[in-house]
Amino acid sequence: MRITGSARIAAAAPEQIFRLLLDPAVLSKCLPGCEGLERTGEDEYRMRMKAVIGAVSGAFDGTVRLSDQKAPQSFRMAVEGSGRIGFVKGEGLLKLAGQDGGTEIAYDGEVQVGGMIASVGQRLLDATARMIIRRFFTRLSEEAGQ
Amino acid sequence: MIPQNFDYAAPSTIEEALELLADPEAKALAGGMSLIPLMKLRLAAPGRLVDLRRIAGLREIRQDDGALRIGALVTHSEIESSPLVRSRCPLLAETASHIGDLQVRNAGTIGGSIAHNDPAADYPAALFALEAKVKVAGKGTERTLPLEELVVDAMVTALEPGELITEVIVPVEAASTGTSYQKMRQPASGFAIVGVAARLEKSNGRIGSVRVGVTGLGPSGFRARRVEELLDGTAGSDGEIREAAAVVAEGVEANADLHASADYRRHLAQVFTVRAIRAALARAS
Amino acid sequence: MATTVTKTEPIVGKGVRRKEDPRLITGTATYVDDIEMPGMRYAAILRSPHAAAKILRIETSAAAAHPGVVAVFTGDDTRDVGPVPCAASLPGLRAPEHKVLATDRVYYVGHPVAVVVAADRYVAQDALDLIEVEYEPQPAVADPEKALEPGAPAVHPEWPDNRAFTYQHEGGDAAKAFAEADVVVKQRIVSQRLIPTAMETRGVVAAWDAGMRTLTLHSSTQIPHLMRSLVAAMVGMPENRLRVVTPEVGGGFGSKLNVYAEEALLAWISMRIGKPVKWIESRRENYQATIHGRGHVDYYELAARKDGTILGLKAKIIQDCGAYHQLLTPAIPTLSLLMAPGIYRFRNVSAEIIGVFTNCVPTDAYRGAGRPEATHCIERMVDLLAAELKMDPAEIRLKNFPGPDEFPFETGTGLSYDSGDYAAPLKKAMEIAGYEGLREEQRRARNEGRFLGIGISTYGEICALGPSSALPAGGWESATVRVEPSGKVTVATGTSPHGQGEETSFAQIVADELGVDLDDVEVIHGDTGIVQYGIGTFGSRTLAVGGTAIHYACQDLKTKIKQWGAMLLESDDVRFEGGACVCNKTGKSVPLAEIAAAAYRALKLPPGAEPGLVATRFWEPSNFTFPFGAHIAVTEVDPETGQVEIKRYVAVDDCGRIINPLLVAGQIHGGVAQGLGQALYEEAVYDENGQLVTGELMDYAVPKATMVPHIESSHTETPSPVNPLGVKGVGEAGTIGCSPAVVNSVVDALSPLGVKHIDMPLTPEKLWRLIAKGGQA
Ligand SMILES: Cc1cc2nc3c(=O)[nH]c(=O)nc-3n(C[C@H](O)[C@H](O)[C@H](O)COP(=O)(O)OP(=O)(O)OC[C@H]3O[C@@H](n4cnc5c(N)ncnc54)[C@H](O)[C@@H]3O)c2cc1C
Repeated sequence: MRITGSARIAAAAPEQIFRLLLDPAVLSKCLPGCEGLERTGEDEYRMRMKAVIGAVSGAFDGTVRLSDQKAPQSFRMAVEGSGRIGFVKGEGLLKLAGQDGGTEIAYDGEVQVGGMIASVGQRLLDATARMIIRRFFTRLSEEAGQ
Repeated sequence: MIPQNFDYAAPSTIEEALELLADPEAKALAGGMSLIPLMKLRLAAPGRLVDLRRIAGLREIRQDDGALRIGALVTHSEIESSPLVRSRCPLLAETASHIGDLQVRNAGTIGGSIAHNDPAADYPAALFALEAKVKVAGKGTERTLPLEELVVDAMVTALEPGELITEVIVPVEAASTGTSYQKMRQPASGFAIVGVAARLEKSNGRIGSVRVGVTGLGPSGFRARRVEELLDGTAGSDGEIREAAAVVAEGVEANADLHASADYRRHLAQVFTVRAIRAALARAS
Repeated sequence: MATTVTKTEPIVGKGVRRKEDPRLITGTATYVDDIEMPGMRYAAILRSPHAAAKILRIETSAAAAHPGVVAVFTGDDTRDVGPVPCAASLPGLRAPEHKVLATDRVYYVGHPVAVVVAADRYVAQDALDLIEVEYEPQPAVADPEKALEPGAPAVHPEWPDNRAFTYQHEGGDAAKAFAEADVVVKQRIVSQRLIPTAMETRGVVAAWDAGMRTLTLHSSTQIPHLMRSLVAAMVGMPENRLRVVTPEVGGGFGSKLNVYAEEALLAWISMRIGKPVKWIESRRENYQATIHGRGHVDYYELAARKDGTILGLKAKIIQDCGAYHQLLTPAIPTLSLLMAPGIYRFRNVSAEIIGVFTNCVPTDAYRGAGRPEATHCIERMVDLLAAELKMDPAEIRLKNFPGPDEFPFETGTGLSYDSGDYAAPLKKAMEIAGYEGLREEQRRARNEGRFLGIGISTYGEICALGPSSALPAGGWESATVRVEPSGKVTVATGTSPHGQGEETSFAQIVADELGVDLDDVEVIHGDTGIVQYGIGTFGSRTLAVGGTAIHYACQDLKTKIKQWGAMLLESDDVRFEGGACVCNKTGKSVPLAEIAAAAYRALKLPPGAEPGLVATRFWEPSNFTFPFGAHIAVTEVDPETGQVEIKRYVAVDDCGRIINPLLVAGQIHGGVAQGLGQALYEEAVYDENGQLVTGELMDYAVPKATMVPHIESSHTETPSPVNPLGVKGVGEAGTIGCSPAVVNSVVDALSPLGVKHIDMPLTPEKLWRLIAKGGQA
């Protein structure tokens, strides 16, 4: 599944957003359901996540890896998680650009979903992925505003 | 296809139900048409089910103060066949008749459908077009809010944990109002790929009080206000309808899945908006 | 002794209601899941979520320690079981070893990895969640054409080109035909993967009797006898200690014409733990781990003269085999090859099959098994040719059929069509549909900008499988007909009907032969402990082969009955008629019940006779039978949404002599419904990583009752010379005839836009895109 799109953060410049995005404490607050990021190496973290979407819930264990950092314009993020209800593996490029005092974040990535959620969740995968992204950027906005 | 272990309670009053639902592990069970499949797949694993179906007060349909008050536990087939709904709010009865299949309609409830907020559920189209309100009860609290405030995102509502929908309130429609629900079914489940509900009035050859509700297109159902504005006051010519319908998907992040791409959904939303408005117009007097 | 003879009217040919229905519609039938036994345990299977991965580690201790769990087994424990058999043999066939549980690698989503046995199925399922498997995912390939590309991930590392087999056939001189042709049409045609979706999923109950040292295996299968032989070999037990019982089967459609890992696994577990054990497949498992059907990408070329005479065919058939060969996987496309020329006269055929491994569940027989794919292709090609030559699709077909006097008709693929009058059903269908009027209506509709289409398909099929030389197991069938001491009749058939209604049609045959009431005939099947060896129910063979065995057993029995009758009537000139022996001289008669009583009391025996009234026959046909027919679909495509409406559906089928028109109608209706499913709705979709994304019925659309149009069904009756009943078979006809009729119709509807071909399923979005782009794909 290809996921592309963009989000605007009104009140923060790319430098600040870049810093926030690379801060594990902030990342863990922004990733919906994230119960903590634990550093395991240079820009590598172990993640525990309990995703709750409406009546559906599932726990995932996984990793987050950041690479190709070109502050403050772009970096790559790779997320992997697996749990009883399936696994998710995604990698994408995030590009930051200043715009009217805020930041425009463009994202473009591939997500691979497997297991139960892939075999029975087709109808809702896309809507769910977008929702998670929306929530992520809403929280990031909040963080940036503080 | 076997759920995890869970407790089961079937209270007979709302108060008891709310008490039981204060436990964060508990979940309300209505028709079970959405919740039970999730549990069987172990995508949901509540520790306790609080079955609402024994609560007598939640199964009624009443007319009161120019509104229909529909209990949250009223099933789709009861709405489809209720003489009261059919005569006073035919759009809702028509919409109910499009849901899934007979077995789903016999078990599934309007409250469950609203609470679950599936992006492809049928009711939201009609309920947005009807500017429905939803009555919500919590432990010691009660509030009534417009559907627009209740619906947050795909599968997400503004219900607080432990809160229950108790009633859905829709206006009693004048017989002269024209309404219609038009939908493309997803052939496997019956869910709407896109569904559009329209209601409007006609006086002196002009369209007024147009309301258009859309489901299936975006993360949740919504009211297509731009379409309504463009149509209001027109004579409802084919060109005017098409022009208005053309903007229905503007600003909506369209869903895409195995069954229909985002482009196709946007296109269908226009087609069914035209069709729903035309049909509503033909029925208005 | 009575002297009157009751001449009963024949019941063969009558639409009597099914004897099996009362138990089915009152919920009193027994399916595998209805079987409970003292001490029974329940199995649940852990399956791979990956399409391709190495298994690095499996940790089962937490699951094994879970309260209520009896045992947990992995591939290490079951190394001695198996392998899962493939009965088809082709030259150069690569057959990966197929263990009942994965050992070091998994090859498709749903691949069984471990099994939990527990006190109940809830505990078993809970314990599955406690098994930890460490996988190392590998690149996967799900698309058969991509799998053939150089550098594609290797499904089985030992065969990097992913080729399971290739098979070639040359009939006549195709090169010459193409050189001489005025016109050649070419098309790539996909017959998408389908999921058979029997209403009852698979299920197994295995019960080891330690005292008797016997194992009883209850399985929802179409082939109990073959299963006994094969499972006995898999678990290494003598065949005569294994009894397979097939209770009611809620549909198979070919998906239960197989021996699966689970059958041997359950047998092995029961012997290992000394308890009966049950496994019932969930719908998700059914979608992931029971065979799929079709899965073809075909490249066809048809050569013809300007006048529409077809000269020859070139075909390349790419068969998506999946990760393994199940029982008949490689054999299915060979049926497509055999049927590639359809029912047309040309004999120049050059065809090739390429079997391809993919990281998907294996394909195998699904209703029609190879013939729907072939029919779909040739019927599309003939329409393409008609369009190219601006000929009417009916006219071009009528021009190319062999005439009724040309039978037996030898085809370019080595078949001998038994009997036929191929123009008859087409003409009849055109008459029912009002073909000329429809074309007129179409002209009017087109002037109004509407997309109205008329689609024809004329099909033939290979049925009544078949002579033993054509099948990996025997091609015969067995029957025992027994008149009980009371005169009631018991029929034991080696076939295994599971919804087709042969308990009724067989009883009709026997009732007429022996002059007894339909209700006096009991047909038993599906229990290897009480029925003589048989082959099973598939390939539209049950009536034509199994029914014929019964017919011959009845003839033997009548000879015996007459011996007894002659003795009792003290006559040397008797006939058997209306359920009694009648002395041709005196007119005196003795009814069957009295004859039976005497035969079992056996105080006195006719010369050379034995006590009892039983006859057993094993009968092998000399050839297949070849049913045929014509279907016409009238469709209209909504130009705004791309939705297809079926406005008329006419089916004229010739299945030889009709024993029971009600059963024939039922088979045609069900078959057409499944054909419509393929044409319009169904597709097993694997994503590029090999995840089956149509994993359940919320996303995989089988047609519901409300989605199936009224079917205007009629028949012509051309008896088959292959068997004395003259029957041909009808189980798959509807499916085979349907999809090309629908697709031809929709292509016809959109032909004003220049549309020539559309691949199935004809989803609204696909058609809308075509329309939006003015017909350009
Ligand atoms: C095969 C199939 C086809 C379907 N097709 C369609 C279709 O075409 N169109 C369509 O619109 N729907 C369709 N549905 C969904 C169906 O309409 C469900 O009935 C509906 O979505 C949920 O209602 P329910 O009463 O069954 O709720 P449940 O499944 O019992 O509950 C759903 C969720 O809502 C919560 N809940 C239930 N009642 C309340 C309440 N009063 N207050 C607060 N929370 C509550 C539950 O805790 C749960 O989280 C289909 C379902 C199936 C199984």
